[in-house]
Amino acid sequence: MDAKDILGLPKTPLTIPQEKKSRPPKDSQRKPDGISREVYMLTGGLAPLMPSLDVSNLKRRPQSENEKITWQWLPFTNSARKDNLQLYHWVRVVNSVPPTGDYSFAVYNKSVDVIKYTDEEYEKYLTDPEWSKEETDQLFDLCERFDLRFIVIADRFPSSRTVEELKNRYYTVSRTILTARAPSPADVSGHPLVKDPYNVAQEIERKRALSMILSQTKQQECKDAEVLAEAKRITESRMAARAAEESEFPATPNVGSEGTFADTVSPFNLQLSSAAGAPISIGDNAFIPASLRMLRVYLRTYALEQMVQAASSSAGLRTIKRVEQTLQDLGVNLKPKVPTKAVCAEHLELRKEILTLLNLQKQLQYKEAESSSHRDNSYAETPDTPKRPNRIGDQDRTFVPDSVSFGGERSGKRDQKRKGTARISEGPSSPAQSKRARKLKSSDV
Amino acid sequence: MPNTTSSTKKQSAEQSDSGGSAPKAQRTKIVKSNDDTEKKNVVKKLKDVEISVPIVYGNMAFWLGKKASEYLSHKWTVYVRGATNEDLGVVIKRAVFQLHSSFNNPTRVVESPPFELSESGWGEFEIAITLYFHSDVCDKPLNLYHHLKLYPEDESGPMSTKKPVVVESYDEIVFSEPSDAFFSRVQNHPAVNVPRLPAGFSLPPPVPIEDANKRKRGDTKDNVLSQWFTNFSEADELLKLAAARQQVQAHIAKLRRQLSVLDGQQQQFKSTSDQ
Repeated sequence: MDAKDILGLPKTPLTIPQEKKSRPPKDSQRKPDGISREVYMLTGGLAPLMPSLDVSNLKRRPQSENEKITWQWLPFTNSARKDNLQLYHWVRVVNSVPPTGDYSFAVYNKSVDVIKYTDEEYEKYLTDPEWSKEETDQLFDLCERFDLRFIVIADRFPSSRTVEELKNRYYTVSRTILTARAPSPADVSGHPLVKDPYNVAQEIERKRALSMILSQTKQQECKDAEVLAEAKRITESRMAARAAEESEFPATPNVGSEGTFADTVSPFNLQLSSAAGAPISIGDNAFIPASLRMLRVYLRTYALEQMVQAASSSAGLRTIKRVEQTLQDLGVNLKPKVPTKAVCAEHLELRKEILTLLNLQKQLQYKEAESSSHRDNSYAETPDTPKRPNRIGDQDRTFVPDSVSFGGERSGKRDQKRKGTARISEGPSSPAQSKRARKLKSSDV
Repeated sequence: MPNTTSSTKKQSAEQSDSGGSAPKAQRTKIVKSNDDTEKKNVVKKLKDVEISVPIVYGNMAFWLGKKASEYLSHKWTVYVRGATNEDLGVVIKRAVFQLHSSFNNPTRVVESPPFELSESGWGEFEIAITLYFHSDVCDKPLNLYHHLKLYPEDESGPMSTKKPVVVESYDEIVFSEPSDAFFSRVQNHPAVNVPRLPAGFSLPPPVPIEDANKRKRGDTKDNVLSQWFTNFSEADELLKLAAARQQVQAHIAKLRRQLSVLDGQQQQFKSTSDQ
């Protein structure tokens, strides 16, 4: 029952004409009718974000004229219930004939057929030193009641048994009874209970591994990722070396376990082996050319990208953005148009210099803030230093650095912003203000 | 080893062309390997040497004007050419252009230079270009991606049948640690940038470049499209970078001065407050 039922539309799924909409760059395929070529080019032939209704569907009278549809509040019973409870709901009635048949959702009430065993059968096949008959009976009662939801069953079970123990007992009993009752083993060999028997040991191990991963700390995770990346690098390098049949390739201390790195070794083992040796630093600058060399063939632009990344690996995202902004302000392409070796080297140097520049700017700001606080302190301590007037000039000059003069309007604006915030952060304790106040005072005195 | 076999094959082919005998070439080869005790039966790699091949890849598209129909508005050519229009066939064996799946046989293989492909249509899409190299060069292919462009940007005016839309990218294919066979083969080839070898490297004598007349012309110098090729100037780029670096360096120097002034002031402050 959905909006379509209420609107009385036929229950056909939306047929978005996939074939027609896929983009045809050649005349072999056609654009759908009724759409102008320009509009079609705008959408790029992609399926629209919103599902669209077929127009012809809307225009057609959905029902034949003699059909009369009403919605009625009618009682119904649910065959999935055993208590014959009668409830009411709205029903779509066509030509005042109420629908017959079962409640439409009753089919979804699935229940499990839990095998029942007799006392003789138990005596004959099912005795188990670890399980009493009472306990087994209890287990099967609960299995029936809770439809094999073993977590719930384990919760309700009177004696303390793990979920795995309960499952194992249930499945073993079911399997034994099934094979015992079958005329020949071949008859039940295809039954899922027999074909894929429950493996306790594996289940316990699986849960242990899962809980181990869950209880891992973030640091461990990072370390694992690092180690795995390292391992991958080593395997790749070894593969490259092997492919080239080169014996002079620098051997790494992890040689022994190398073969198993790729998939089988768990991160925990790896951690140990990497802790034992292999002081390989990831993110080292020298690492990039080495990895490139292993590629044997690559594009210059790719190499530049890698080198730029390596050079800015220590910088934060904001700093990288500022470097790129500065490049643009300088009128330099972020990616060189003619990336020859010389151009790439220059480009890289320029980026490094800009990083230095930004660092220096930061240092300067920091020093200024520091020195202004010094000044504040010194005023407090020695209010009548004769050198003071000179220093006002000094301070003004150093405090407003006309930095980034090449940046044009944009960086100029940024500078002003920075100045503004710096002033605000200084607030009322600004030396200029306190000075003036004190000056007045001294003149008063 | 594939590399040595290919070079001997080439040599022997030449020998027979010029009337010499193939066994002779074989014999010299053997003698040489006896002389050079270091030379093993593996491909000799030149460490810390890189060979680069400057290329330009892109497309050119002509609008068909009055003849254009709704689904056939442009004739275009996608290509990989040498940056100076030299023959790339010395390095590249084959280029595979992967077109949009709506084309007939969307995977187009070009087996010999010039590596270009012409088609017509109306849609823009990304073309993957896979370059395969000769066996002594590199056994790994290289992928390039180019977005086919047919319609001009707004600022460059309306569509015209006279002037094509040209979009090209410059790049360089870099071969790290090339084999010495490859090195000596392309040493004097104009399409390839080969570094000067440091002293102490010995190489087999360069294989003479095959007679240009005998070969099919693979360069793109006299290409019909060549008048529209973009001019990629390394010098311009370097000048721009140098100017930018100068500005940044000047600025760094200025900041350093300011910092030292500030440091000096702080020293002064300390001393005065100590007094």
